[in-house]
Amino acid sequence: MYKLRPILKTYYDSLEDGKVLGMKCTDCGDVVWPPLPTCQKCGGYNLDWYDMGDEAVIDEIRYEDSSVGGDYTFRKANDYFVDKSPYCICVGHFPRGTEQFHAALYGVTEENKDELISQLPLKAKVKFIQLDGGFKSVGFEIKK
Amino acid sequence: MKQQFTRPVSVVGTSTLGQRYFDDPEYEGLSIYELWACACHQAMDDAGVKPKDIDKIVYSQFANFVTAGNAMAMVGSLEEWAGVAGKPITHIEQACASGYIAFTEACNAVASGKADIVLCAGVETPKHFNARNQPAYMIQPISKYDGWWSPGRVLFDTTYYRFDGVSDNLLTEEQGKYYQKHYGISEETLDETYNAMAVNLRRNASRNPRACERKEYTEIAKENGYDDVMDYMRSDHNPKITQYIRKSGSVLHNVAAGAIIVCSEEMAKKLNKKAVTVIDHASSSNTQRHPYCFHQMNVDVRDALYKNQPDLKGDDLDLMVTTVMTSGEQLDSAEVFGYLPEGKGYQYELDGRTCFDGDTPINPHGGDLSFGHAFGAAGINMISEAILQMRGEAGGCQVPKPVNTCLVRGMGGGHTTVGILLENQQ
Ligand SMILES: [Zn+2]
Repeated sequence: MYKLRPILKTYYDSLEDGKVLGMKCTDCGDVVWPPLPTCQKCGGYNLDWYDMGDEAVIDEIRYEDSSVGGDYTFRKANDYFVDKSPYCICVGHFPRGTEQFHAALYGVTEENKDELISQLPLKAKVKFIQLDGGFKSVGFEIKK
Repeated sequence: MKQQFTRPVSVVGTSTLGQRYFDDPEYEGLSIYELWACACHQAMDDAGVKPKDIDKIVYSQFANFVTAGNAMAMVGSLEEWAGVAGKPITHIEQACASGYIAFTEACNAVASGKADIVLCAGVETPKHFNARNQPAYMIQPISKYDGWWSPGRVLFDTTYYRFDGVSDNLLTEEQGKYYQKHYGISEETLDETYNAMAVNLRRNASRNPRACERKEYTEIAKENGYDDVMDYMRSDHNPKITQYIRKSGSVLHNVAAGAIIVCSEEMAKKLNKKAVTVIDHASSSNTQRHPYCFHQMNVDVRDALYKNQPDLKGDDLDLMVTTVMTSGEQLDSAEVFGYLPEGKGYQYELDGRTCFDGDTPINPHGGDLSFGHAFGAAGINMISEAILQMRGEAGGCQVPKPVNTCLVRGMGGGHTTVGILLENQQ
């Protein structure tokens, strides 16, 4: 039987406690982040909460000149971020995860981007992003 | 090609209403309802049918809550305006893929045997709205909307994706990144390619009275003191709005309505109209969680369509019509579907071979960059342009060779891609 339980609330609550949760399928072992109640690999619904750890591997860095404004359709998606510090987009994966993801990545600048890109893949710490709606989301930050 | 429905489906009618802005003098005093009625009747007239002949309507609109007076489920009024009140109608809201999905659902209704003649129609006004306390002809620029409306953000739901800071421009830009990574093309060459693509599409649009922006870049360049159009395209007159995408490489938003009549093959014979056969359709949806999701949806749709057409290679199609929200999308989709050779398509753009009169025409109507794009109506307008090309009735932008096979590939919202194969079989 499908277990009716809070997925989103559990996830966002745990971010407040400094923990990034994914879900692991007990049938096939696939790990999904962010968490979903249905296994993306086998379609089963027997998934348990799974600690993703506090570090990810960054595979690609998509540096964007933040002075480039975009028009009303295409623009940065940090409308609700409390801290408007510049960031770029990365493709990464959790060492304990299955799939690559897109995420916000802090710590990349015009000055260090070429060096960082030449060092890929790189480790990055989870960075909790404060949203003005009173909750957090997950980004990453390159270790100094 | 081998048609894939249990009951063959044909297209027998299309609207030809242009892409315009509500600021244009010719649209003075109009609302979306008049445009809707006009498009529906154009398509019915073209098919030689009357409202009473219509068995079902599939209608597409994406932003009705915001732009149409906070109205939801406008189905009854829309039916009255087109003279089809009391008939079954289905509303499709799947962002800018809505029009394509409405078409595929219209085909399915005919293929199932449940309906003989289906009106598939859409309407949308991306840049203007009417306030909730005023009648629909009182329209205002969308910037005055006193609620939250961000087309780039509404496409992301409130589970995770609205809040992760990943912007849609970076995702559409992935196609450029993908291209560079896999084919070793420099950023400069990619910029030249995207600029050439914009020039080519505008050249097509300049010959299409239904297109929104019809002044060629060569002319605009001259007006600004540039003899070489490519110098103009590289200049600050055409600034980059993301790392790869320039202003000329970003979708143009305008108001439009569109309509198509789909019917069974037997009915098409009875109507004695020049009918285009719908061979097959496929779609794929995804989220931005997956890197290269735009590219992957093209791959998914190609595989779903081509597996039923063992002889189809892509480069044997007479025409490709494809959504181009930003420049990279045209190149990526043309190569994934095999219409242009993988990793070499950029040269076709640079050489102008993708123009309406080139040997591998893409978007002869001008594409979303110059023809225009009206959200949920866009898919229907794109299919209409394909139909006009296949009938040889596209006018100044008519491809100068027989267009008997066509792939229409559409994308919306960054999360749905559709492929539709059409052929002149009758
Ligand atoms: Zn599983």
